[in-house]
Amino acid sequence: MSGLYPSLKDVTIVATAFKLLLLPAYKSTDFEVHRNWLALTHSLPVQKWYYENTSEWTLDYPPFFAAFEWCMSHVAKYFDPRMLEVQNLGYDSFNTVLFQRLSVIVTELVMVYALHRLVANSPEFTKRSAHAIALSILLSPGLLIIDHIHFQYNGFMYGILLLSLLVAKSSPLLSGILFAALLCFKHIYLYLAPAYFIYLLRAYCLGPNFSIWPPNPAIQFFNSLKLGVSIITIFATAFAPFVWWGQIPQLLSRLFPFARGLCHAYWAPNIWAMYSFMDRCLILIAPKLGLAINQAALSSGTRGLVGNTSFAVLPDITPRVTFVLTLLFMALPLVKLFMHPTYENFLGSVTLCAFSSFLFGWHVHEKAILLIIFPFSLLALNSRHHLSSFRPLAVAGHVSLFPLLFTPAEFPIKTVYTVLWLIVFLYTFDKLAPSGGVNEYRRWLMDRPATLFVIVAIPLVTYCSLIHGLVFGDRLGFMPLMFMSSYSAVGVVASWVWLMGVYLSN
Amino acid sequence: MASTTPRKKRPTRSARSVSFSLPPLKFPLARLVHPLQSSTSQWLVLPVLLMIAFLFRWAVGLGSYSGMAAPPMHGDFEAQRHWMEITTKLPVREWYWHDLQWWGLDYPPLTAYHSWLVGLIGSKINPTWFALHDSRGVDDPILKVFMRVSVVASEYLTYIPAIVLFVRSYGARSGLNSYEKSIAFAAILMNPSIMLIDHGHFQFNTVMFGFAFLAVDCFLTDHLLWGSFFFVCSLCFKQMALYYAPAVFAYLLGLCFFPKFDFGRLFMLGATVIATFMVMFAPLVVFGGPEQVKQCIIRVFPFARGLWEDKVANFWCASNVAIKYKEYFDQSQLQLASLLATLAGIMPTCLILFFYPQKRLLPLGLATCAWSFFLFSFQVHEKSVLLPLLPLTLFHAGSLDTDTTSWITWVNNIAVFSLWPLLKRDGLALQYTVIGMFYAWLMGTFQRLPKGWFGKLVHLGSYAAVIGLHVAEQVVGKVEGLPDLWTVGNVLVCFGCYVLAWGWALQRLWNEAKSPKNKTE
Repeated sequence: MSGLYPSLKDVTIVATAFKLLLLPAYKSTDFEVHRNWLALTHSLPVQKWYYENTSEWTLDYPPFFAAFEWCMSHVAKYFDPRMLEVQNLGYDSFNTVLFQRLSVIVTELVMVYALHRLVANSPEFTKRSAHAIALSILLSPGLLIIDHIHFQYNGFMYGILLLSLLVAKSSPLLSGILFAALLCFKHIYLYLAPAYFIYLLRAYCLGPNFSIWPPNPAIQFFNSLKLGVSIITIFATAFAPFVWWGQIPQLLSRLFPFARGLCHAYWAPNIWAMYSFMDRCLILIAPKLGLAINQAALSSGTRGLVGNTSFAVLPDITPRVTFVLTLLFMALPLVKLFMHPTYENFLGSVTLCAFSSFLFGWHVHEKAILLIIFPFSLLALNSRHHLSSFRPLAVAGHVSLFPLLFTPAEFPIKTVYTVLWLIVFLYTFDKLAPSGGVNEYRRWLMDRPATLFVIVAIPLVTYCSLIHGLVFGDRLGFMPLMFMSSYSAVGVVASWVWLMGVYLSN
Repeated sequence: MASTTPRKKRPTRSARSVSFSLPPLKFPLARLVHPLQSSTSQWLVLPVLLMIAFLFRWAVGLGSYSGMAAPPMHGDFEAQRHWMEITTKLPVREWYWHDLQWWGLDYPPLTAYHSWLVGLIGSKINPTWFALHDSRGVDDPILKVFMRVSVVASEYLTYIPAIVLFVRSYGARSGLNSYEKSIAFAAILMNPSIMLIDHGHFQFNTVMFGFAFLAVDCFLTDHLLWGSFFFVCSLCFKQMALYYAPAVFAYLLGLCFFPKFDFGRLFMLGATVIATFMVMFAPLVVFGGPEQVKQCIIRVFPFARGLWEDKVANFWCASNVAIKYKEYFDQSQLQLASLLATLAGIMPTCLILFFYPQKRLLPLGLATCAWSFFLFSFQVHEKSVLLPLLPLTLFHAGSLDTDTTSWITWVNNIAVFSLWPLLKRDGLALQYTVIGMFYAWLMGTFQRLPKGWFGKLVHLGSYAAVIGLHVAEQVVGKVEGLPDLWTVGNVLVCFGCYVLAWGWALQRLWNEAKSPKNKTE
C-alpha cells in the first residue's frame, strides 16, 4: 500500500459493510453460547452466574467477560427481550442475530482504536509499514472467520491486547494494567503472561543498573508498588466477590476443564497434530517393523477427535509432558528477554511464548493461532528474516481455520477472502520490508520452500473440501481434518523455528 | 514499530515504483484504489478488484431471494429453476408450451439454452432439484448455493470481460491514466443495483448486459460485424435489450451513410444480423419444428398484459396518480399512445447517433435511448431501470470529473431507492440498506455535488425526499385507506429524478457530439 491511502477509516467502513452483509451467514454454537451468557447474566444474580446450567453452554470465561455480557444485555433488551430468557434455548430471531452480530462489529472498534494508535505513534520512516500492518490486522481473515461468521468476540479482546503491547514501550505500567484486565476477560491470554512478567519485572520493577554479577538488584520500589497495587486491584475487582461467596473452586472448574483431550475437535495445527498423523501412518507400516499396536486405540471410534486421545503405536502424551515442553520452549526466549529487555525483544518473546503454548499445549484450540499472528504482525516488517518467517505462518495459520466453516455457502467467502488477503498483504509486505543484509541467493533459499509450501495448499484445500466428500462420502471424516492440520502444522513449526533463530541470533 | 535496521531501498526497487506520490482523487473509492496505482502493482488491479467484487456479490447472495419460502407462486428464483428443469427434462417442442400458468418459459431461446446447460450441470449434482413436477418451489439451501454460483459464473464469463474491455478501450480513448481507469472499473463493478437484482433478488441480467456491452466493445474497436453478432446474442438472451436496439441501429446506419454511403457495409451488417438470428433459433426449429418460433415470439412479447406492472417510476404509472388512464381509454389506445410517446422519446438520440456516429457517444446513446423506453413504453418493470442505468454507469470511463461522477452517482443512488419496494418484499432490506449506503459513501455522494446551483438543488432535494420517505415509512407505517402511499411516493420521486437524469444524459450526449475533441475520429 503506497502512502497512507486508503485510510484506516476508509478500510473500516468497507470491512463493516462486508461484515454486515454476513449477518445471515452460518453461525456456530458459539452464537448460542453467547446468547445464553447474555441471558444468564441479565436475569440471574451474580452469585448464580457460575452455577447456572440450564444450557449445556455454561459460563466458562472469567468475570470481566461475564460483566461485559451483562452490560450488552442492557442494550439487547431493546432489540428483542426474548433472547434474554435463560430457558429460551437456541433462540435466534432476526433481531437477536442483528444485535449479536452488531455487538461484535461495534466492540471491534477497540481494535480499530489500537491500530490507529499503532500508526499515529510510529516514527515517520516506519509509518508506511505500520499502516500496512494495521490494515492487515484490521482485515485479518482470522477475525472474519472466527468473529464475524463463526461468532466470537476476539476483535474486542485482541484490541485490548494490541493496546497493551503498544503502550508497553512508553508506559509499562499501563501495559501491565491492560493485560491484567485482559486476563480477566479471557484466560487464554495466560499463554502470553510469562513474557509480560519478565518484561515488566526487568524493564519496570528493576532499574537500568540491574546486573546479576556483580549483584545489583537496583529494585525500583515505587514502580513495583504501583504495578503491584494496580494489578491486585484489577484481580480483586474481578474475583473478590467470588472469594467472598466461596465460589472460587466452582469458578476454576469452569475456567479450566482439565478433563478434555490432548487435541481439540478440529485438531489445532501443532506438534500433537503431527504426532497423531505420524501415529496413523505408523499403524499402516507397524506390522512390517514388528511394532506393537494398541488395539484399544485402533477401535476407538473418535480416533482422538474428542476426549482422551490414545495412540496406537507411539507412546501416550500426558498433560505433564505438554506442560514441561511448553515451559522449556518459553524459557529460551525469556532468558534473552531478561538479559536484554528491549521493546523488540518483548514483542519477539510474546510471539514465541504464544508459539510454544500453541505448539506444545494441552487441548489447544485452532483459534488460538491469532495469539501468534497478531503479535507477530507487529514484528513482521522489522527485517526480511522476520517477513520470511511470517509468511508460512500467514498461510498455514489461516488455512488451518478453514475447517471451522464447513457449509457450502461460506466456502467461497473463506477461501476467496483469505487468498485476497494473502495476495495483497504478502505483496505489500514484500515491497515494504527492508532488504538490508540479505543477499539475493539467500533470499532465494528462504523463499523457495515457502512458495512450494503455498502451492501445496491449493490441491490440499481442494481435496479436503471437495474431492474427499466425493470419494469417501461421510466416511473417514477425520482424514481431511488431519491432513489440513498436519500441513498447517508444518508451516507453523517452520515459522516458529525460523523466528526463534532470528530472535536468538539478533 | 521498532526497527533495528535503517530502511534502505535498492535502486532497482525504487526505480520501478515511480507514481507513488500522485495524490488520490477526493472520494473514498479513489482512495481505496490508490495503492494499486504504482506501476509494479498493475498486475494486481484486475484480480484484486474482481475478488472484492465477488465477495460483495456473494455476501449479498447469502440473503434471501425473490419468492424464498413464499408459496404458492414463489418468484423469479423459482422461474429460473423451473426453466432449467423444463429445458432438461422436456423435448424442445414443449419448451414454450409446458404448463404456462406455472412460470412458463417467456424469454428468447438463448436463455433457454443457458437454462439447459445450467440445469444439466445441476442435475448431475442433485437430480431432485430439477425433477420437474415434484420439485416445484424447492427451498434447499444447497440449491440456493448452486443457483447463486450459476449467476456469478455467468456474470464472470460475460459481463465482467465486457466491462474490462470497455474500460480499457473507452478509458484510453477518453485519456484516462491507468489509475483513473482502475477507479472507473471499480465504480462500474460496485454498481449497487446490479448486485441487488442479480445476486439478491435473483436474475441473469448480467448475461444480457454482457453481450450488449461486448457489442459496444466491438464497435469501439471497429469490429462492426462481431458487434452486431453480440448485440443479437443479447437480444436473444433477453428481449429487454430491445431498449438499446434503436440506438445501435441508428449508430450502425450512420456509419453506413457517413462520410459516404457504403452499401457493402450495410449489406454485411444486415446479413450478419439475420444470420445470427437464424443460428439462434435454429435449434428450436431443428429439434422442435418451425411452429416453435411463432410460439416463442408470442411468449416473449405479451401484448395482452397491462400497460405496466406493479408500481414503476415511469410516465404512465406516475401520471396515473392524477389521470386514471384505464377508466378513459382501452388497451389498444394506450398501447398506441405509449408507442408514439416512446418513438418521440428516442428520436433525439437516434438522430444524434445517425448524424454523428462516433464511438465516444455509444454509452450515453444507449442510456438515453433506454431511458425513453423506460419512461414511456409498455410493460415496464422496476428492474428495467438497469437498462438505462448501466450504460450511464459505463460513462465513468469517459470522464471522472466531479460534475460527471456526481450525476452518475446520483442516478445510481435514486435507482437503488426505486428498488426498495421490490427488495423489501424479497426480504432484502438489510442488503438494500448496506449496499445502498455503502455505494453512496464509496462515490462520495455528499462531498461531490455538481457545479451549478440547479444540480445542487436537484441532488440535495431528491436525497432529502428519499431520506424523508424512508423515515416517514418507518415512523408512520401503513396508512389506513392508502395501502400504497409510500410506494406511490417512491414512484413520484424516482420518476421526477429519472426525467432529469434523461435530460442530463441527452444534453451531455449533445455536448459530446458537438465537442471538437470528437471531430478527429
